[in-house]
Amino acid sequence: MTTTPAVLHLDAVSKSFGSNHAVRGVSLSIRSGEVIGLIGENGAGKSTLLKILSGNYRHDEGTIAVNGREVQFRGPADALRAGIGVVHQEQSLFTNLTVAENIEVNTPIGRGGINRLGLYNWRRLYADAAKALDLIGSHLNPRTRVSDLSFVDRQMVEIARAIRVSASSDTTPLVILDEPTAILERTETEILEREISKLRNIGSVIFVSHRLDEVMRICDRVVVMRDGELIADRRVDDVTEDELFRLMVGRETHAAVQSRRSIEPASSPVISIHDITKAGAYADVSINAYPGRILAILGTSGSGRESVARAIFGAESFDSGSISIAGYSGRHLSIKKAVALGVGYVPAERKTEGMVGEMPADQNIALTHPGSAVIGPFELPRRRLALARMWFEKLDIRPREPEHMLQDFSGGNQQKVVLAKWLNSSQLKALVLDHPLRGLDPGAGETVKAQIRSVCDDGTAVILIPDTIEEALDIADDIVVMRDGRISGVYDLGHDNPATLDLLERML
Amino acid sequence: MVHKVLAEQVAGGMNTTAIRIRESGIERRARFRGLAEPLSLLAALVVLIGVFSLFNERFLTASNLQNVLTQSAIPLIVAVGATLVILLGSIDLSVEGVMGATGMTWILLSANSRGGADLGPWAWVIALGVALVLGVASGLIFTALKVPSFIVTLGMWYIGLGIATMLYGTDLLPRLEDEALSGWTSRITLGLPNSFWVALLVIGLGILVLRSTRIGRVTLAIGNSETIVRSAGLPAFRVKVAVFAIAAVLSGLGGILATVQLDIGSPTVGSGVLFIVIPAVVIGGTHLGGGKGGILRTVLGVFLLTILNNGLILSGVESSYQSAVTGVILVAAIVFAAWSQRDRLRVAK
Repeated sequence: MTTTPAVLHLDAVSKSFGSNHAVRGVSLSIRSGEVIGLIGENGAGKSTLLKILSGNYRHDEGTIAVNGREVQFRGPADALRAGIGVVHQEQSLFTNLTVAENIEVNTPIGRGGINRLGLYNWRRLYADAAKALDLIGSHLNPRTRVSDLSFVDRQMVEIARAIRVSASSDTTPLVILDEPTAILERTETEILEREISKLRNIGSVIFVSHRLDEVMRICDRVVVMRDGELIADRRVDDVTEDELFRLMVGRETHAAVQSRRSIEPASSPVISIHDITKAGAYADVSINAYPGRILAILGTSGSGRESVARAIFGAESFDSGSISIAGYSGRHLSIKKAVALGVGYVPAERKTEGMVGEMPADQNIALTHPGSAVIGPFELPRRRLALARMWFEKLDIRPREPEHMLQDFSGGNQQKVVLAKWLNSSQLKALVLDHPLRGLDPGAGETVKAQIRSVCDDGTAVILIPDTIEEALDIADDIVVMRDGRISGVYDLGHDNPATLDLLERML
Repeated sequence: MVHKVLAEQVAGGMNTTAIRIRESGIERRARFRGLAEPLSLLAALVVLIGVFSLFNERFLTASNLQNVLTQSAIPLIVAVGATLVILLGSIDLSVEGVMGATGMTWILLSANSRGGADLGPWAWVIALGVALVLGVASGLIFTALKVPSFIVTLGMWYIGLGIATMLYGTDLLPRLEDEALSGWTSRITLGLPNSFWVALLVIGLGILVLRSTRIGRVTLAIGNSETIVRSAGLPAFRVKVAVFAIAAVLSGLGGILATVQLDIGSPTVGSGVLFIVIPAVVIGGTHLGGGKGGILRTVLGVFLLTILNNGLILSGVESSYQSAVTGVILVAAIVFAAWSQRDRLRVAK
């Protein structure tokens, strides 16, 4: 035990919204150079705790001390001044501005690249930003516009900003990373993990993640939150992944991997893609999706697999070839046509394409296929609510309040609502899932996965863009691997048993 | 196991290179896209000038060009402010009202045919003060009460017009009786009309504010995402109010210059300016949603519209057709400008 005061010390911090106690009596101490993992299911209070630390929320009870001094954050600016930089779960960069400006955005007037008159000295600003990037080992050009960066590079910019902000105060910087890897491809994640590990040389880190293996690799200590309380604080050496999972969900162990009894392909596919090509994205892609089977498309971020998935749903056009869905075949597939033919699509960009946040959850569910909730042009709110209640029960969507705005639900529960929107169709023939488990905690992930299986068993064809190879091997019946816009491997898991390494080789 | 880890490490390395190569391509293309838009605008301007000079020999004369510059000066000054407001993702429709109120205040406090006090330079200060008050009012109502800027400034337009009409009263037109100022705007200094020199100064200051001050940079940031601006602890509130204030003061300056040009005070001195300014900003390529664009592009947009207007008159297009023709060209130009801004599901709002 060291005698230096903790960089950050929380004592019995609480915060409630109405009757909902989001954070209850959380006490936590972080020393300089420590990397702390913070895990918990969606809705466990992690986000609220982070928002208190970033100055976005004010806590009701308890004290927060930075370097032994008690602090009161009245806004995000106060937290920054105290040396706490946050990399939020949602990207929080100005995409229209350069890397340098994003990093230097909080530079006060009279310091760094901004003179006392408030005028910017761009050369100085670029140099300072380059220094901040250098500190975390990134070689990005500070003059690049953020909209032209990949996700992993954007995360690096966010980290550089958080470090820069906190380094300008006189305390050891504390960087909070809120699920920085949730939206990244596997390979990108590894790059980021490596960089995060290096941060301990500069300051302390709180690392929030759903991926337990990742937490075990990166962190020194792991704290677990459940129902707003901090229920465990363990050194990674003294704990196993299974134990963490159990602490987190309160259930015994990982749900046993169900052995799939693969249904043999039916005589005719629901979706048949024949040699579709789109210049610059993919070429000569042929895929058949059969009812009752899950087909996973693997590939890296440049493989074109997302574009293919979007083409099936009519959301992106293609140059040549044909897609036939349930007997209909045409070159000009539109979303409207695809939906009418019984195709559902769960987009990767949930917030912008999958849901209407400012609308209650029940209305979201009844949006595309209202079923019994409408008669002609008239909506029947009570039936709609009953319908929503049924889905909330079936998919375990929490809290059980379908009349609340969808944006107020946590990510995993939002995803379940998006899924329910399509499942509500009486004639769902195929479901296209673009990263359906992205950003979900293991518990929510299990429910969504189970639901995907059950939809599939009901005779729907599922086309899945998984986050990881493991996810594909776990859930799929067929695997198609894409590389640089072309199919590089096809497996029927009923007969073939590809190793992760084989799949990986075909991806790269 | 070792095998797998090794492969993933190799994979990671290879993939990074692939990403980097692809990215440098994206970067190059992005830079080209950034340049292509203003260049195509410049090309359109050249074509327009070419066509008009073919139709009419008087078009490409020094005196007509000076005429065009005089005509463009006031819209340019106002458009600098409008660009800032649109970069926020908001809009300022109060332009003509603010111009009227400021112009009337100014002429009644200067040497005019109705007599009254001649406050000289103080008339400028007070008149621009009126503009500032109107702008701050718009900004505060918009920001503090969270009323859409569209509605707030629409109201402010009529408030300004109302103030101007009250000042105008039922008396005779106030005529400017200042020898030195009469016709000052179109007088030529160093080859350019005086009002155009003022416009150049305003454009220069506008570019400085946008490129190199906190107000300008936060304006661009707000246009991108106000949520992020707030959570980063940046002064979103102050900047928004300041931008509306700047825009109103520039409208006011335009109003005074328009009054000088007209030689008489009139509540409707700004009539028609809004219809040049907003389309000019959009044609210039500044996104109506905010965050992207700039002042130089707007300058090109104003020139394009002023030259179009001037050329149509010189080419003898009947005035009854003129507004329809201008309207058609405007809509076409905006469709062209907005084409590249659609998102991937082609949603337009």
